[in-house]
Amino acid sequence: MKKEIRIKLKNRAIAMAQEPEQKRAASAAIGVILFTLAAETYGIESAFVREVYPLRDFTALPGVPPYIFGIINVRGQILPVVDLKKFFNLPEKGLGDLNRVIILYNDQMEFGILADVVNGTKDIEPEDIVTVPATVTGIGEEYLKGVTKERLIVLNAARLLSDKNIVVNDVVT
Amino acid sequence: MFKNLKISLRLGLSFSFILVFMIVIILVSLNQIKVSRTMFDRIIKTNNVRLQLANNMIDHTREVSINLRNILLLKDSENTLELKNRIDSIRNLYDADIKKLEGLIINDDTMSFAIVAKIKDSHDVSRQLNNKVIDLAMAGKHEEAILLMNQQASKKVAVWITEIDELITHNEDRISMLYLEAEKAQDAARLFMFILGTVAIALAIMISIFLTQSITRPLKISVQTANEIASKDLTGDLTVYEKRGDEFGIMIQSFSKMIENLREQIQRILDGVNVLASSSSEIFASTTQIASGSAETAAAISETTTTVEEVRQAAQLSSQKAKSLSDSAQHVAQVSQSGQKAVNETIDGMNRIREQMEIIAQTVVRLSEQSQSIGGIIASVTDIADQSNLLAVNAAIEAARAGDQGKGFAVVAQEIRNLAEQSKQSTMQVRNILNDVQKATNAAVLATEQGNKAVEAGVKQSVQAGEAIRILTDSSAEAAQVSTQIVASSQQQLVGMDQIGIAMQSINQAGMETSASMTQAEDSAKNLHELGQKLKELVEQFKM
Repeated sequence: MKKEIRIKLKNRAIAMAQEPEQKRAASAAIGVILFTLAAETYGIESAFVREVYPLRDFTALPGVPPYIFGIINVRGQILPVVDLKKFFNLPEKGLGDLNRVIILYNDQMEFGILADVVNGTKDIEPEDIVTVPATVTGIGEEYLKGVTKERLIVLNAARLLSDKNIVVNDVVT
Repeated sequence: MFKNLKISLRLGLSFSFILVFMIVIILVSLNQIKVSRTMFDRIIKTNNVRLQLANNMIDHTREVSINLRNILLLKDSENTLELKNRIDSIRNLYDADIKKLEGLIINDDTMSFAIVAKIKDSHDVSRQLNNKVIDLAMAGKHEEAILLMNQQASKKVAVWITEIDELITHNEDRISMLYLEAEKAQDAARLFMFILGTVAIALAIMISIFLTQSITRPLKISVQTANEIASKDLTGDLTVYEKRGDEFGIMIQSFSKMIENLREQIQRILDGVNVLASSSSEIFASTTQIASGSAETAAAISETTTTVEEVRQAAQLSSQKAKSLSDSAQHVAQVSQSGQKAVNETIDGMNRIREQMEIIAQTVVRLSEQSQSIGGIIASVTDIADQSNLLAVNAAIEAARAGDQGKGFAVVAQEIRNLAEQSKQSTMQVRNILNDVQKATNAAVLATEQGNKAVEAGVKQSVQAGEAIRILTDSSAEAAQVSTQIVASSQQQLVGMDQIGIAMQSINQAGMETSASMTQAEDSAKNLHELGQKLKELVEQFKM
């Protein structure tokens, strides 16, 4: 018992003695927000993230494509929310938590995407990101920035924000 | 038809029938004899006499002729007178004869009458001629007389005699005719009698056969039936013959009735004998059982006698034991009183335990409520940690947006996020522990409830035990009292057992006697049974 505790303490000491990775980080590093969606971890550039907001109340909209989840009220501002699973036609793998909304923005567009869990932030070197064929992830190539060695799928936030498909311009007849 | 006639009447009828036949035969034969007799009478008394008379008449005539010749021949007047007288007397005789003859002719004989009339004429003529001859002779004129006589008188006399001869012949004819008639009549009578006799004999034979038949047949049946009855066969059925109206019918009816009565009686006897046989066999079985039973009883009684002796000794022992029982019963009464006290104390103790248990239960319930409020607190802490985490993420985003100036803030945000994570994990642990605590308190609640129940049951049982011990106390007091009575009773019992011993001796003797008489009864029943069987065999010989 004491031996185990000792080993544990030793491991912890080794872990504490590690130098932080930041030192290695150059100015080219990209900050990403990590989030989980349908048991898969995705990353999205934090430069395009306005904030993370808990999904409490939302309003479903009639007459819209199925990937438009609804609209939410963020401190008086009404924002649409997109369900990426439906948007990317990803297979449904059981029910997720879906209790977070990551609000993306740029100077033209602002909307939220649904996430199960937001895991935090991470800095990634651009050379670590490898582009892969679209068939590997099931997501269109244009929406991906690439995949890291840790199998982190980094989404292209700028492309998403400028995508014409998300803009709904149907007339209900 | 004859069957219904009485035998006497039948016999009478038959004999009178035969008698009538005999009378008819006798009468007929008598009549025939009479007829024959009259016929023979006529032949003998009339015709023969007539024949005689006619012959006489011929003789007289010849005599007259002879005398006449003598007159003529002698020529003597004296002699002539004498001869004339003689002729007159002969003539008288002749007249008498012819008168007689006339009287004897039967009216139907016309021929005789005619012949007699002719004779009369002839003799009248002849007599006149002869008288003339005589007168001539008397007058002495013999030649004239002879001449007259030769020429006329002799011829006339010859005619006359011929006529008489004719009469005789006629008479003889009649005789033979009558004789033939008589013979014929006799033959007819004989034939008639022969036929009548034959018929009578045939009828008599038939009647006798019929009579014998009519008497012997029913007699045979009766004899046969009697033989059957004699040989114990009562199956005969005589109802067919009962319809006869005669004595045999009556006899057969009585036979039939007798058989019926016999059958009935034998049936009754058979029934009775059957009952007797079964009863006697039952009696036999019963007496056998009784005999063996009485033997067993005798044995049992002697056993009982010895047993009674043993019981007497046992009673003595029990008297002693009863005395010691009385002592111990009093001891038990004391002990049970102290036991009652102890049980009362137990009940008090149980009541105290119940109160304590109730307090424990309340405490546990409170504990459970408090652990639930701890759960609520944990939930809010978890929520706070979550929000802190989110805030840290947002802070990190803000720090990233601030660029290099925000780097320090990013570290702080990371630390906050770590803290939030840690606090979340801690609350998770607390929640697990709290879950365990809640499970434990639930188990405790259950345990205290069971404990409560057990205590209540204990209280109830101790109350029951108290009640039981109270009853025991009462009972032991009663037992003490009763055992005193038992001591007295067992003393009396001892005395009683002595008396029973004496009584058992006499019962033993009586039992032996009963056993002996039962053996005799068994023998008698056996004899009765055999008698019944024999009787049954006897009666069963009758066929019915």
